Amino acid sequence: MFRILILFLIFFTLSSCSSPEGTWGWYVIDPSTKAGWTNIKFLVGGFYSTILLSIIAAFLSIFIGLVVALPAMSDNKLLQLFNRVYVEFIRSIPLLPMLFWVFYGLPVILKSMGINANIDAFWGAIITLAISDSAFTAEIYRAGIQSISKGQTEAAKTIGLNYYQTMRYVIMPQALRRILPPLANQFIYIVKMSAFASVIGMQELTRRANEIVVTEYRPLEIYTLLIFEYLILVLLISFGVRYLEKKLGSNESANS
Amino acid sequence: MENTFAVEIEGLTKSFKDFKALDTIDLNIKHGEKVVICGPSGSGKSTLIRCINGLEDFDEGKISISGNTQNPKKESYVSDFHIGMVFQQFNLFPHLSVIENLKLGPMKSLGLSEKDAETRARGLLERVKIPEQALKKPNQLSGGQQQRVAIARALCMEPKLMLFDEPTSALDPEMISEVLEVIVDLAREGMTMVVVTHEMGFAKKVADRIIFMDGGSIVEQNSPGMFFKNPQTARCKKFLNQILHH
Ligand SMILES: Nc1ncnc2c1ncn2[C@@H]1O[C@H](COP(=O)(O)OP(=O)(O)O)[C@@H](O)[C@H]1O
Ligand SMILES: [Mg+2]
Repeated sequence: MFRILILFLIFFTLSSCSSPEGTWGWYVIDPSTKAGWTNIKFLVGGFYSTILLSIIAAFLSIFIGLVVALPAMSDNKLLQLFNRVYVEFIRSIPLLPMLFWVFYGLPVILKSMGINANIDAFWGAIITLAISDSAFTAEIYRAGIQSISKGQTEAAKTIGLNYYQTMRYVIMPQALRRILPPLANQFIYIVKMSAFASVIGMQELTRRANEIVVTEYRPLEIYTLLIFEYLILVLLISFGVRYLEKKLGSNESANS
Repeated sequence: MENTFAVEIEGLTKSFKDFKALDTIDLNIKHGEKVVICGPSGSGKSTLIRCINGLEDFDEGKISISGNTQNPKKESYVSDFHIGMVFQQFNLFPHLSVIENLKLGPMKSLGLSEKDAETRARGLLERVKIPEQALKKPNQLSGGQQQRVAIARALCMEPKLMLFDEPTSALDPEMISEVLEVIVDLAREGMTMVVVTHEMGFAKKVADRIIFMDGGSIVEQNSPGMFFKNPQTARCKKFLNQILHH
């Protein structure tokens, strides 16, 4: 919390630099004026979409990542290949082109398959973020699961556990300690990348900032506020990750 | 219809890449028989018992467990005949308590109720003489205690055959006897077992047969009395000299 306070201090120091003819014109988001208050409400209203978008995308990515990671650990060469191709391919696509492809291209493909799906900006952004991020979560799972010794899987086999039971009761509970912190970190990436949703018209934080800039011609103040909006979100997640790491780390257990 | 043999192995051959780890092994083990396997490091002892319980697939030959044949290159589980396995490194589940380690197999694999699994697990902890450690995590126990938990975990599945892969090699010397005692007790109760070990005192006491392996082959096998008194091959003599006078 202390660090957030310092950041706000810097923020308000900057704001005091304003002068009538100077570079800063904080009046656009001055909460004491009616226009300023309206602008603030509009800008801050973007939190809702940004957060919702990020959370849904993160959950999807966590799920897809697992489905992509598990084949990497199988003995089947074809399944391993699937994992490598998916990870290398998805990881190499920049987010913006993928977003355009999903938003403008995917409906065309679906239509040709007889599915008349209209992908709106919200779901277009979620699909893109989730898939783009899943290549990274898959690698996180793989590293975490492979860090558990082979002896654990073998011991599970000798007491008759099948693949699912081995994962569920033996491997995952141990791997999770190593997987959760980087997975939570990955959530920060999603939150930041969700800004790209603005270009397909999703009214999240960045889009709203752009819209006010166009009408008010005060990019400096509004984008400064925008940066602080993301900063707050990311700092909150950081605290969460720290907390998680501490909690999991205290439960240290040797891996025989 | 009971088979005479608990394990029948015929022409078992297994390679890792170009390296032949097992070379046409023939071995029959009777029900209730106790077989000790020894031999220099890298001679294929672990590979052999890992082939028996299906942890390792093999290239050629045939393994039958109580008459059920396993084929090469196949996930070779024989579900109605559970084979217990005790590893050199214990391989206990570190995130579970001792009692949970024991209950996991019976509950998830045999479908026992929590209550029945608990009763069975408690009984086995008595048998390996550590009932008071039930709620501890494995890493809070000594090596000897951990290995006894591992034995109890295997016994929880009520196996008809127990495999031990150097069960005392990772232990401090003062803990070896407490683990061997448990295995000796098990032998007295009539369990069929294959034990890879270099504890020759133990071998003399429980083995019906001692097998000496070298270079992926069974070089020599005999009753304990004959094996120690009158080793047939130079390789075996040399090996016995090394481990008996070190
Ligand atoms: N997974 C493996 N990959 C490659 N080589 C292996 C593997 N497991 C065992 N080996 C080799 O096979 C030989 C026999 O190994 P092992 O059965 O473990 O011997 P022992 O248990 O008698 O010491 C050794 O030379 C070992 O290096
Ligand atoms: Mg070995």
